[in-house]
Amino acid sequence: MSLANRMSVASPLISARTVEANEFPELSARFGVQGVPRIVVNERGAFVGALPEPQFVDAVLQLAVVKSEA
Amino acid sequence: MAILTDQVKRQVHARFAEQLSGPVQLTLYTRPGTGRLILPTGLGCRTCDDARQLVDDLQEAAPDLISLEVIDVSVQETDVREVPTLTLACPGESPRIRWLGFPAGYEFATVVDAVERVSSGDHGLSAATLEALGTLTEPVDVMVFATPT
Repeated sequence: MSLANRMSVASPLISARTVEANEFPELSARFGVQGVPRIVVNERGAFVGALPEPQFVDAVLQLAVVKSEA
Repeated sequence: MAILTDQVKRQVHARFAEQLSGPVQLTLYTRPGTGRLILPTGLGCRTCDDARQLVDDLQEAAPDLISLEVIDVSVQETDVREVPTLTLACPGESPRIRWLGFPAGYEFATVVDAVERVSSGDHGLSAATLEALGTLTEPVDVMVFATPT
């Protein structure tokens, strides 16, 4: 099941949006979607692929830190 | 055509009877009645009527614990631009989980799972993940682009 949703249940600082890529081609183009799942963090950094929980959380938090330090 | 078969409705009803413990609030932002119209980009909504049927089925699966609000964005002012959008939260809280588009196929399973997890508060994450999330000091927005299959 969606790790992003579960992270949101665990932390009030996380919001999760699942976007049906085919229904919103403008959003998909804006965020460079060429394959799914594509995970976009803070509308900036992104990665592609369904990762196991530890790697998914690491990837999200690394991108979040990069964003907040930028 | 029904969105959920009677068999799936029974399965969802049985799961919710077992898994739900607290109330949840579903809110569907929609532009009803435009699915069969040919309208300029952004004015029609091909899947809004299907999404309405889906959330009605979900709410009927546990009417004592699931509240449903349907907002017609064509008559009610809102910040939500993409329709259909479904949000999920504990009552009284700002929703942090949402789906943009009709959550069909695999995504429907994620909706059922999220309803159960929000209701129970059981995120099912590891201690290491919780420790990592505890280091956050600022909000994080995670968008997951997916397709129904």
